[in-house]
Amino acid sequence: MIRVEGLSAALPQGQALRDVSLSVARGERLGLVGESGSGKSMLGLALMGMVPDAAQLSGRIALDGQDMTGATEAAWQPLRARKVAMIFQEPMTALDPLVRIGETVMEPLILHLKMRRRDARARALDLLAETGLTEPEAKMRQYPHQLSGGQRQRVLIALALACDPGVLIADEPTTALDAQIALRITDLLVRLSRDRGMALIFISHDLAAVARATERLAVMYGGDLVETGATAEVLANPRHPYTQGLIAARPRPDPAMIRKRLPVIPGTVPTLGDLPRGCRFAGRCAAELPRCAGTRPAPWPTASGQAACHLLEPAP
Amino acid sequence: MTRFLIRRAAGFVLTLLAVSVVVFAVMSMLPGDPALSILGIEASPEALAAMRSQLGLDAPAPARYAAWALGALKGDFGTSYAFRVPVGGLIAERLPLTLSLALGAMAVTLVLAPGLGMAAAARHGGPGDWAVMVLSQIGIAVPAFWMSILLILLFAVRLGWLPSGGFPGWDQPLAALRALVLPVIALALVQSAVLARVTRSAALEVMRLDFVRTARATGLPRRRILWRHVLPNALIPIVTIIGMQFAAIVTGTVVIESVFSLPGLGRLLLQSIANRDLITVQALVLLFAAIVVTANFLVDLAYVAIDPRLTGRQS
Ligand SMILES: Nc1ncnc2c1ncn2[C@@H]1O[C@H](COP(=O)(O)OP(=O)(O)O)[C@@H](O)[C@H]1O
Ligand SMILES: [Mg+2]
Repeated sequence: MIRVEGLSAALPQGQALRDVSLSVARGERLGLVGESGSGKSMLGLALMGMVPDAAQLSGRIALDGQDMTGATEAAWQPLRARKVAMIFQEPMTALDPLVRIGETVMEPLILHLKMRRRDARARALDLLAETGLTEPEAKMRQYPHQLSGGQRQRVLIALALACDPGVLIADEPTTALDAQIALRITDLLVRLSRDRGMALIFISHDLAAVARATERLAVMYGGDLVETGATAEVLANPRHPYTQGLIAARPRPDPAMIRKRLPVIPGTVPTLGDLPRGCRFAGRCAAELPRCAGTRPAPWPTASGQAACHLLEPAP
Repeated sequence: MTRFLIRRAAGFVLTLLAVSVVVFAVMSMLPGDPALSILGIEASPEALAAMRSQLGLDAPAPARYAAWALGALKGDFGTSYAFRVPVGGLIAERLPLTLSLALGAMAVTLVLAPGLGMAAAARHGGPGDWAVMVLSQIGIAVPAFWMSILLILLFAVRLGWLPSGGFPGWDQPLAALRALVLPVIALALVQSAVLARVTRSAALEVMRLDFVRTARATGLPRRRILWRHVLPNALIPIVTIIGMQFAAIVTGTVVIESVFSLPGLGRLLLQSIANRDLITVQALVLLFAAIVVTANFLVDLAYVAIDPRLTGRQS
């Protein structure tokens, strides 16, 4: 469905993505994790042709067999919503406050699918019902400010589904919601992906949500894809020291753990300009070797995927 | 919704009332005796006293205010001290000209400015944006009377396309319209420059908001995002400025009518001030203030029409 090869995104300050290669199969659910600033959103936006103007892309992007490398805004526009759709972190501000919910969901149906208003209205109602929005008929006539955050995120999901895309990119869709609603939205995305055979790229820093929602996992740090593999496998047996750190640092519901100091990855994510030339994790890594800061590690095969770390290099 | 409208309408009436009190009070405090200016300094004290009581000036201030305000409600503003005819008639004769000037200038502004501002915002940082910014900076920097003189020099004196001033009267509609072209443009250019800039910055502000990213992710074409989502959300500041601009245009007619020698309310105001014709000045100031207050009321109504969040309007 999606194939990315050697994708880099250069910003004036530094590289937000470095040589990322990744593919997502039809109907597959991929989790994308990493600390904030790792380049997860940048990768998601690159798959929509929506990186900031300042970012220079290189490498290849193919969507559903169509090569989108270096495609213009005009070439991307017809693919958005129809082949690949995206929802974002902040549902409170993601809807036009002056447009009724119904009109918002009807807009792509009328514009892209050339539906007549009456058909579009019926279809929008179906979509809103499919996302589990309560009283969808009444909500169609309401404005965004009359809905809660969880309800708005459902509307945004309905909007993203309107043209039946092959891939949905959900960029931290639950971060702004409280825990219980977050869980429901996560399960909703999984159900929709299953029902529709739609691939899902689930961006999150909540490892529990990713474990619940996805089959495959990609771990990012400093613009690098550091480890990939089956979600359960990677979480149970992480090979890259960064993945190990992420898992150790994850907040646990266990009250005994909360009172103790949570282990965290030492140091902070460097800014783009200060990333080491070699392994991006050099400088924060507990198992660092002398060559790590200067030489980029190659990806080595693991049980179900790859990890880019010098420690995994087979002995000569 | 209806409660909001009732509140705003009540506010509108109260503001008008307050304005009339202030206008009346200020005019009463001005030095000068109308009876004296009508009869001249040679008049006997008895004649002056008789004239004062004829003008109703010997009554206490609240009674005089009440008489004046009640009359004004019926369109009776008293008799001009200078022209010796009803003030209402003087105003009625001149109102169409001034209103045509003001509404014409407002219309030209509304046609020119939003499009220019949106075009500039859509090309943010590009040559089109620069062109609009530079032109509007010039438009803002040049005072209206100076712009008028430039327009007269170019289109009337040099090219001879349009008259340089004067007004033939409404019974010659074509000539009347031709006489209005230059003054309307002179009034509109400055306001268009201001409004184009306001539109541009309001649109740029909106373009950074999350829902614009949603619209883009939905595959909406650029133009549709601009006109269907960005412009409506930029309208609140735009409409606010339009209300203020209408007030500026109405007061701007005073200068423009002088430059183009047009017999409108602005000229009448200047004449009445020169003649110490206080009762006419008082009526005109009230009228100008009423126009401004009405414009602000219309802006309030526009807010309600634009933004569902303001009134908590349900479905
Ligand atoms: N518009 C932008 N201009 C400059 N830097 C940006 C911009 N967007 C993102 N970045 C930088 O790119 C890096 C990756 O950001 P992002 O993809 O948002 O990370 P994540 O989603 O994993 O938190 C960060 O260092 C961020 O500061
Ligand atoms: Mg992000």
